[in-house]
Amino acid sequence: MAVIPIYPGSSSFFPGDTPFGFYDNQIDFQVDADKVVTYVSRRLGYPIMDVELQDLNFYAAFEDAVTTYGNELYAYKVRENYLSIEGSPTASNLNHELITPNFASVVRYTEQYGEEAGTGGTTTWYTGSVPVTAGQQDYDLKTWASESLGLDNKDFIEVKRIFYEATPAIVKFFDPYAGTGTGMVNMMDTFGWGNYSPAINFVMMPLSFDMQKIQAIEMSDQVRRSQYSFELINNNLRIFPIPQRSGSMHIQYIKLSERNNPISKYPEGQYNVTNVSNVNYCNPDYCEINSIGRSWIFDYTLAVCKEILGYIRGKYTQVPIPGAETTLNQSDLLTAATSEKEALVTRLREYFDETSRSNLLAVKAAEAESLQKIEAAVPYPIYIG
Amino acid sequence: MALFGGARDVSMFRGISRELMWDVIVQECALYKFRLEETNVNIYGEAAEEKYYEAPMLLNTLIDRQDQSTPNSDLGIDFAGGRTFKFLRDDLAGVEANGSGKIGVVVPEVGDIIWYENGYYEIYNLINNQLFVGKDPNYPNQDDNNYNPYGNSDLANFGYDVSIIAETHYVPADRVGISEERLISSIKHVK
Repeated sequence: MAVIPIYPGSSSFFPGDTPFGFYDNQIDFQVDADKVVTYVSRRLGYPIMDVELQDLNFYAAFEDAVTTYGNELYAYKVRENYLSIEGSPTASNLNHELITPNFASVVRYTEQYGEEAGTGGTTTWYTGSVPVTAGQQDYDLKTWASESLGLDNKDFIEVKRIFYEATPAIVKFFDPYAGTGTGMVNMMDTFGWGNYSPAINFVMMPLSFDMQKIQAIEMSDQVRRSQYSFELINNNLRIFPIPQRSGSMHIQYIKLSERNNPISKYPEGQYNVTNVSNVNYCNPDYCEINSIGRSWIFDYTLAVCKEILGYIRGKYTQVPIPGAETTLNQSDLLTAATSEKEALVTRLREYFDETSRSNLLAVKAAEAESLQKIEAAVPYPIYIG
Repeated sequence: MALFGGARDVSMFRGISRELMWDVIVQECALYKFRLEETNVNIYGEAAEEKYYEAPMLLNTLIDRQDQSTPNSDLGIDFAGGRTFKFLRDDLAGVEANGSGKIGVVVPEVGDIIWYENGYYEIYNLINNQLFVGKDPNYPNQDDNNYNPYGNSDLANFGYDVSIIAETHYVPADRVGISEERLISSIKHVK
């Protein structure tokens, strides 16, 4: 007749009695373990009623409660600081680190905007030279890319800039034949200084005059001459005007395979935080948990023990007794355990959220505003001189 | 191999039953075992002279009580009222009598007398048919080498013979001839 002992009314914790042994060697945990057994067993009705648990069940629940507390705590810390932690080395244990908010992730995200504007980012802009043939207006850049760049068949380029432009207007700035009517000679003639050297200017001109003159030259070229321009539709580059002689046309492009690659580059051999699962928080040190936390842990241990006891008493719906069957209170235990666990976790999360950076700052701001209102009600002294 | 009704489960059931019977409900009775070898019988198998019983053993039990009745007979008004005593079988398997240190098995039998609330009840029927998951671990269907042709070598660890139920009828005290001073109540159960 096998007799499986149940809780006899006392217990004695030894390291190794918990399933994982996370806290077995922490003095406070060892001291509290047996106290928790006493507390929970009495809450469950002992010594008036038997509690069909063994000390190992109580210890497992206690360890579970501490771990759950740590999980909730550090999950909150991860949520609070993930933007600052993402990308940092995983080697650092963050349990005792003060996390200073930074812009690392924000900058990493915004770099991509700069990348599209050609002012930053992580995708290289390559320079290419497209051969231009006299009399040929259309050029197939896909063919050029595959032949000249040796691109993989599955890769593509995206042209960022095409250097097929007219001579800059500034070149014609002093050109008396530019036809803009604003040549330097004309100006000097207007003032009666035509007999002076054109290189000598006695009049200080505003910068806007130069800009307007340049715009006039550009407009003149655009209207009166064959303006340099291009169309890039699909893979076909059409240039205007039709080149009169052969040469090269430079372009800047990126490889789509590089832009599409979302993997950030880190120093070789260094593992970095890439998701919430590898943020390096460890199980808490029980000795450092304050009385507020421990009280929560005790209550959660009780809820877990109710759950265990509920499962034990509920393995069989009906328990045989002599000449009859009886139903135990497994249903009540499981219902209570579920609701209590949920309420405890909710309470803990609310408590953590109330201490989040944003909430604390809001409270601080409200406090400052209230202080200002209060101080504003203080009568101003009147000085009579 | 059986899956349900293992020794661990049964151990809990035993604990639940004992908690109910010993600590919560707490109904007790005393069992007088009939000493057949010391009782002289006539040619009809009836007790010719005095009946002899073992010293009473106090046991925890669950009791069903039928209503009392007073039937009329040729001899006058009689008194009747049966009781059903339900014993946890494991309780009967570990009884130490009178602090002797000897632990034995109590087997109620037809003819035994149960003393309950100063009344005597004679067992006229025993029911031994409450098997959890339909198995009695005392019958594991094994040979001496623990061999079972289906490979169920662990049937001794499954199932549970829960109870012995004694159906009794009321017996006037003068018929059993048990005097009260012979009652001994220093029986204890061995968990």
